[in-house]
Formats: sequence, structure tokens, C-alpha cells
Amino acid sequence: MEHTLLDFNLRVMAPELIIVSAAALLVILELLLKESTSRNWIGWLGLLAVIAAGVSVGMEFGHPPYQILNDSYRVDSFSLAFKALLLGGGGLTILFSLAGGKNEQPKPKGEYYILLLAALLGGMMMVSSADLLALYVGLELLSLSSYILVGINKRDRHSNEAAWKYVVLGGVSSAFLLYGMSFLYGLTGATNLFAIQGKMVEMVATQDQAYIYVSLFLMMVGFGFKIATAPFHTWTPDVYQGSPTPVTIFLAVVSKAAAFALVARVLLIAYLPLVSTGAWNEIVSWLLMILAACSMIIGNTAALRQTNAKRLLAYSSIAQAGYVLVPLSTLGFVGFDLFPSLFYYLCAYLFMTAGAFAVADCIAKSCKNDQISAFAGLSRRSPWLAGVMTIFLISLAGFPVTAGFFGKFYLLTSAVGSNQAWLAAAMILTTIVSYYYYFEFIRQMYFRAPDLAAPRVSVSWAAWAVLAIGVTGTLALGLFPDLLLHELGKIDWHSAFAQAQNAIRQ
Amino acid sequence: MSAQVALLIPLFPFLAFLLLIFGRRFWGEKAAAGIGIIATFASFAVTLPVLWGSLGKGQTITWSIPWFHLGEKAVFLSMRLEPVNVLMLVIVSGVSFLVHLYSYGYMRKDERFTVFYAYLTLFTFSMLGLVMSANLLQIYFFWELVGVCSFLLVGFWYFKPEAKEAARKAFVVTRIGDVGLFIAIALLYWHVGSFEVMDVKAAVLNGKLTPGIITLTAILIFVGAVGKSGQFPLHTWLPDAMEGPTPVSALIHAATMVAAGVYLVADLFFLFTASHQAMNVVAYVGGFTAIFAATIGVAQNDIKRVLAYSTVSQLGYMMLALGSTGYVAGMFHLMTHAFFKALLFLCAGAVIVSLHHEQDLRKMGGLWKTHRWLGYSFLIGCLAISGIPPFSGFFSKDEILESAYADGRTGLFIVGVLAAFFTAFYMFRLFFMVFAGQARGEKNREPVPRVMMVPILILAFMSIISGFFNTPGDRLAHWLTRTGTATISLEHAPVWISAVAIVVAAAGIFLAYAMYASERISPERVAKSVPWAYQVVYRKYYLDELYRAVLVWPLKGLGWILTGFDRFLIGGLVYLSAWIAQLVGRIGSRLQNGQAQTYVLISLIGFVILIVGLTAGRLFP
Repeated sequence: MEHTLLDFNLRVMAPELIIVSAAALLVILELLLKESTSRNWIGWLGLLAVIAAGVSVGMEFGHPPYQILNDSYRVDSFSLAFKALLLGGGGLTILFSLAGGKNEQPKPKGEYYILLLAALLGGMMMVSSADLLALYVGLELLSLSSYILVGINKRDRHSNEAAWKYVVLGGVSSAFLLYGMSFLYGLTGATNLFAIQGKMVEMVATQDQAYIYVSLFLMMVGFGFKIATAPFHTWTPDVYQGSPTPVTIFLAVVSKAAAFALVARVLLIAYLPLVSTGAWNEIVSWLLMILAACSMIIGNTAALRQTNAKRLLAYSSIAQAGYVLVPLSTLGFVGFDLFPSLFYYLCAYLFMTAGAFAVADCIAKSCKNDQISAFAGLSRRSPWLAGVMTIFLISLAGFPVTAGFFGKFYLLTSAVGSNQAWLAAAMILTTIVSYYYYFEFIRQMYFRAPDLAAPRVSVSWAAWAVLAIGVTGTLALGLFPDLLLHELGKIDWHSAFAQAQNAIRQ
Repeated sequence: MSAQVALLIPLFPFLAFLLLIFGRRFWGEKAAAGIGIIATFASFAVTLPVLWGSLGKGQTITWSIPWFHLGEKAVFLSMRLEPVNVLMLVIVSGVSFLVHLYSYGYMRKDERFTVFYAYLTLFTFSMLGLVMSANLLQIYFFWELVGVCSFLLVGFWYFKPEAKEAARKAFVVTRIGDVGLFIAIALLYWHVGSFEVMDVKAAVLNGKLTPGIITLTAILIFVGAVGKSGQFPLHTWLPDAMEGPTPVSALIHAATMVAAGVYLVADLFFLFTASHQAMNVVAYVGGFTAIFAATIGVAQNDIKRVLAYSTVSQLGYMMLALGSTGYVAGMFHLMTHAFFKALLFLCAGAVIVSLHHEQDLRKMGGLWKTHRWLGYSFLIGCLAISGIPPFSGFFSKDEILESAYADGRTGLFIVGVLAAFFTAFYMFRLFFMVFAGQARGEKNREPVPRVMMVPILILAFMSIISGFFNTPGDRLAHWLTRTGTATISLEHAPVWISAVAIVVAAAGIFLAYAMYASERISPERVAKSVPWAYQVVYRKYYLDELYRAVLVWPLKGLGWILTGFDRFLIGGLVYLSAWIAQLVGRIGSRLQNGQAQTYVLISLIGFVILIVGLTAGRLFP
């Protein structure tokens, strides 16, 4: 029977619809405005839309999975949880952008917020799609919007360079991804992930498996680019450094989290039949573990030699990507129960990374110096900012009392539990290495006399708001992890990897 | 005595910390010191009824609330005050109170006086929390927190480059130990399914854990203790940590935090006694550290460094005792050491203040004439640590030697006796160089403020009497082992052990007297007659140099290699393309310099290596 768009309960798409209509509305409104009118309220409306979408995501929880649009798009607890995370990250980004002090170069405000919303929409589509095409559309919507966002400061040379690199390298990664998808389509004749899974079950039993691996590895290159995991991380330092900081936060948090959800979804649906032949444990797990280990090693060691604050944090985020891959890579050994730990770490990562980048941005703007040396004597110049930064740093380094500690703790437990001692060892050793460079910030802030010529660090109210949210989140999750874990425990993660009741093809 | 009252103990310093840190612009010196002193005194006052309840009624206070869930299992915030915890509470709050009092004199006119008190109260809070915890994860929390406080206080005078370096070193070196502890906790959780010390204990006693796991976790926990308690080979941070203000050295790096490692081993003693190998490791590392650090102490010329090596050595004694199943001996020595070492450090601080911040022993001397009371106190400390009866150190050290002997560790027993000789020697070398003879350097001596003398005299008094807590009658032993933590043999070892210990200590004192007071033997001649030995000891067995070579350089090397890769391979291509671009006559544009191509190339190579490496074996068997 033919299904039309109206046969589905479109209520489940409410968050996406809110974002897309907000974006569309703002485009039209922006056109009607005079050039001289302030565009700040567009940001406010965008933030409002994000909050509204967040509320509607919250209301969706607890329903059984629901598939629409010819099974290509599904709403389940997994996607809802990730949407909540993405909206949180997007909301923080918009909030931070609202700061825009007077001394900043003029920013094309209107389209900036609209593009952010579009990118957010792309991310939400990514985490909800159950079809290669829908998935790719979401990915490109996110990517194309991000390319422009990175280069939004038209007159900033660094921003331009970053955007150019991001476009070219992002294009390459998309090419890899599409090439991999085309193999998958060629093998199975389907783009729906569940249909692919069905075919895959037959194929792993009979055929030569070389093409399956080719498709998998090609797609992993594409995903690796998005997650910024070594050896596909090369764009990250340049782009993170060159982008306007709110955009960096967006890339580091939203784009990365969406890509993680994507990897989990594609691997655990399309390639799940590999488990039965043992190829999962031999190849897929190892692939992810090697990527994880490479990211930890390269991210952490390369960060040792950085002098630019944002660049250093970029390398640190490469390392964090490696940590986040750990639960995913050990899934084959332990089972699905590791999603709470993955998600917990992503939340912790959201708070601490957004916070650390925001502090770095405040200091770089005030001191006109984006080196770590600009942090010198911060504990005396602005003790509050130094204190806040310290909390983010100890969380990034994985010390107790902060969210980062429990995040690492869960990851480590899962690595130990899967008997992958070498991975646990890599985690621990690279974590120790990371102390050195996180320590460098602390040393500058507390043990260096301030430069007498250094201006006062001015922190806008919006930046304070972001920092307050970051600190609250980091400390709350660090002291009372149950706040989040309890909720995560209630989520039915398994449902994300099985057909929904209302599927057309059962 | 309810648990809620006991919870007040760490609460007071924590409140003081909040008051001080948020009002650091607001409080004057008097107010800030007052807050710290009152808070720590309040803690100490509350520990007394707890102590009374534990001593008299045999009460064990317990308390726990759910903290968070790991999967289905709840993890608790919990407290359990067995005698060992109560003993630590009394020591920590008592010494902390005295040091808070002393700091008012020592830190006066420091620019960041309030911040100093804030850190000190935070440390007291963390340390009290640590010794009250009955949950491994909670212990780890406080364990890290005391480490952070130690770091902040060592680097308190951040404008001194040595202090900065020392803080960094203390932090990183102890972290190496902490990683061991963390893995042990994760392993225990994985195998027992709980962080509660009591659950772990039950699992060990019921034989739920394999011997291999017990040994492994015990040794990993010991690695944590080694880092914190400055045991060989992770001791190098402790002498450097003396760059911190002297009250900090007395409180953190002598009496309390560095003893946390010993405490941890004692607290998890059931785990260690279940594994013979682990006990051996503890005993041998402890014994070796005791003699090793004592020999280094002989050749140091900085008053605080001598004391630091002495601390390392004494902590080694405690580990030796624990490793020889001398549970009571170890905790007994921990207690007496807390008193006499805090005393020695506070005296050293007074000496330093009176000599206008001179720390070099060679520039001291003749202080006996001008600072008689300080001299008496210092002498009491030296006699106590050297093990001369009736001072406290004699009794506890005697217990340690006895337990090593009773455990059949004759080799370690001899090591302990030898170390006692060195201890007596370097302590009296210190004493004579500071107090005897004529002033060699600074002639103009300041009097010591009274607020600093009061804590010194209290500690001196404690150093005299605390030995009698256990002798005669083994009261401390009965109390500590009441809950069956360890068994003790109340048969006393032969009397000759005490006799030997006294003779050896007296010989050390006499040698020191001959060399440094009556100067019948010239120290230079001794040093020259065995120049290599002196050099080796003076350079602390070249361990720092060794670490730099083995650990730091490869790490830096890796960083350099990767930077080199970044700079020369990628950078080389940048320059090459820029050069070509110039050749063509165009302005070198950063946008088209080939860098992005290199990036893609790296990814492509990564892809090829991954796919070939991982699937080749499967596709072409």
C-alpha cells in the first residue's frame, strides 16, 4: 500500500519542524529589516526556537520508536537523547554568540544565526535517520552550513583559511563517505539501514566479504573526519583555531556528537550481522579501538607542543574523541549497556569543552593575544575567570569532583571490563601525558606574574552565562552523577537498533 | 554520639575555607587566622568525644547515604569510624590546629595571607574526609583533593622558580602513584561489585577473590601509597616539596598527608595480609626506603631537606612495620612521628625565621645561647626520632624492630637497626650544626614570636608522652585491634632488641657529637676519604638525573618527533610550495600551499594502512 506524508503522525517531528520553521521565518524577517537595524533579536528568537525544540524533545520521551517517511526517518529514545544533547550544545553556541562585544568586527548577524539553526537541523536529522540517503542529506546540511559559519568573519584571514580548508577536506571526507555508501548500495540494493542489515545477514554467510570491508572502511574515513579522530583529524587544529569561537564550540560539540550517533547507528544496524561471523570482534572493534588509541596518542602528544590556546584545545578535543570511541569499540565484547557511559561522557564533554573554549575566547579577545601566555597571572587579574577555567581543566584532565572524572571512570571501566587491557593502558598513559599541557594553563594562571601591560579581561554577560552553565554542569555531574545516570538508565537504548512497530517493511 | 555530630568534624574547616576564599579581599590577617584556628579547633574538639566513645564504649560510628548508581548498583557516600580512623582524626585535627596557630606567626605580612589560610583549611577538610571515608571511590576523591592542596601550597610562593618546579613535580610524581591506586579501585570494583571497604573485606575473607587478583590489587594500592608517602622510587618529589612554606611542610609533608599512604595500607590491611607477596613488597620497599633516605639525609645541607629525607626514611619504617604484620607498630609510629616530626619542622621554621630565612646549615650555629627554649624543644624532637628512651620515638621504633624480627625478617631487621644509626647521626648533626658552637653566618637573630612557640611546646610535650600510650600495657594495641583488623602477639620480643636500638642510636649521636660539636673528627676528612660515596649520597644516588633520562626525555622526544613531523614534513611542503609560488612570481598565498593536500594524503595513507592491516589476514588466509 502506498503511504503518503500525511499518513504519518508528524507530531514526532515537532523539534525539527520548530527549528526549520524558525530558520525560514528568520530568513524572511531578516530580508525585511533595514540594514542599520540591530540583528541581535534574531539570535534571541533562534535561542527561543532551540529551547522550544528542546521542550518538545523532552515531551517525546517514553513513546515507542516511530518510523516515518518510508522508514527513512525514525524517532526513538536514542535519537531523542542525542537531539537533546545537540540542542543543548546549539543553545550554548547561540547564547555565547549573543555576547558580540562592541569592539568586535562587524558580523553578518542575521545569516549567522540562521545558518546555525540550519546546521543544528542537519545534526538532528543525522541522529534520526535510518536510511543512507536521509543520513547523507542531514550530514551535508550540517557540513555546508558549518563551512560558511567557519568563514563567517569575511575579513579575518584565519577564518577564511579555516573555511577554505574545511570545505576542501570536508568535501574529500564526503567523497569517501559516498563512495563507501555506494559500495553498500551496490552490494545490497538498498539504502535503508534495516534492509541492508537483512541482506547483510545473507551475504556474510555466503559471499566474499571484501567489499563489505571496503564499504565499512571508506565510510569510517568519512565519519572519522567528522568526529575528528586520528588519522583523519588533520583539519581539526586549523579549523578550530581559525573559526570564530562560538563556531568552534559548535563544531567540537554538536557536530562531533551527531557524528558519534551516526557511527553508532550505521555500524550497529547495517554491519551488525558481522558479529555472527566473528568479523566484528576481529575487524570492526579493532578498527574502532585503533582509531581511538591513535586519537588519544596523537591528540595528547601533539598538544604538548602547542602554544596557541585554541589550537591546544583542538588537539585536546581530538584526544577526547578517542576516549569517546572506547565504549563504542568495546561494544562487541560487552553488549549494549555501554551507551549510558558514552552519553555521559558526551554530556561532560559538552560542558567542559564549551566552557574552556569560552574562557580562551574571552582572554584572546581582551588581550589581543591568543597564545597560552595570555593567561599569565590570570588568578590575580580576574580570579573568578581563573577559578572557572581551573574547573574546566581539571574536568578535561579527569580529576575527581568534576564530570570529567566520572566520564573517564566509566570509559575505563568499560575498557577494563572488555579485557582490552592495552586500550585501558593507552587511556591511562595518554591521560597522564595530558596533565602536562593542562598543567601549562594552570601554571600560567597561578604561577606567573601578570604582564603589567595586560588589559583587564572583560567578560560579557553572555559569556558569563555560558561559563555558569558549564561550571554548574561540570560540578553537578561530578558530584552527583546520578542526576544524569538515573535518567540515562531509564532510556531504552536497544530500541534504536530494531525496526519500529509501525515499519512498512517488517 | 551520633554520626551527624561526627560529620561536623570536616564541615568546620570546609566552612572556613568557603568563608576565606570568597572573602579573601575582606578579611584582615587577624580575622583570617582566627577563622582558620577556630574552625580547626572546633574540629579537634568534636573529635574528642568521638575518641572517648571509641576508647571507652567501643563505639564504631557508621553513616552512609546513596550517592549515585552505576548500572543497577548504588554507590554510597559513607563513613565508618573504627579505631584507626579515630586515631587519624585526632592526629590530623590536632596537628592541623597547632599548625594553623603557628602559621599566624610564620606567615605574617605575607601578601596572600588569607589565601594561605584558605588552602590550609581546604587541606584539613580533605584530609579529615579522607580518613573518615569507608568507600574506595570516596577515598580516591579525597586522595586527589589532598594532592591538589599539596600542590597549591607547595607552589604558594609561585614567584620562586624552585617552588613552581617543585609543585609541578610533586603533582606529577604523585599522580603516577595515583594511577596505580585508581586501577586497583577499578579492578576491585570489577571483581567485588562494590566500592565499600567492608564489602571488599568480606569478599577477601570469604575467598571470593583469586589470590592473583588480591596480590595485584594490593600491589597497585601500594603503588598509590608509594607515591603519596614518598617511598622509593617515587620519593623524589618530597624533598623538593620543601620549597613550600614551613608550616605546610610540617602539616602536609611530615605529619598528615604523606602518612596517608601508610594509613591506606593500614586501612586495607586485610587485603595485604591475604597476600604474602604483597606483604613482602611492602616490607622490602619500606625497609629499603628507610635506609636509603637515611643515608641521603646525612649529606644534605639544607635544614628542611634533611628533615624531608628523614620523613621519607621514617615513613619507610612504618611501611616496613606494616609489611612485617606489625599493624600496631606501624600506626603507633605514625602517631609518634606525626608529633615529633611536626615539632622538628615547626622548630626548623622558627630557626629559619630567627635567621632571616637562612636555610643552609653551614651558615647556622650557636643558637643554643640565644634561643634556649627552642633548643630544648628541638633536642626533644631529635631524641624522640633517634629512639632514646623515654621519648616517644623509642617505643614505636622498638615495636617496629620487634615486629620485623618476630616476622622472621632478619635482613630487614638489620637494615632497620642500621637506619636507626644513620637517623641518630643526621639528626644530631643537624642539631649540633644549628645550636652548638659559634654563629657562622647571620649574627643578628630575631626572637621567635610567642604564637609560634606555643604549638612547639605543645608538640614537644606530646613527643615526650605519646610513647606511653602503648607502653606499658599495650593499651593502644588493644584499642586498635579491637575490631579484629589485625591480630597482635603480645609476647614481647627479647629485651636485647631494645638494648641494641639504644646503643646504636647512642653511637650515632656520639659520632655526630665528635664530628660536629667537639670537632674531633673533621667532616671534610671523612667526606674526602670516601669521595665517591659522599658524592653518590650527596647527589641523592643520581635518581633525579636517572628519571630525567629515562622518563622525561623519551616523552619530550615523542613530542619533538611529532612536532618535527608537523614542522618539517608538513612544514617542508609548505615552504616548498611557497618557494614554487614565488618562483612563478606570485605572492605566496597560504590558501594554496598544498597543506590541505598533505592532510588528505595522511588520511588516505591511514585508510590504506587500516584496511590492509585489519582485513588482509582475513581475506587472504
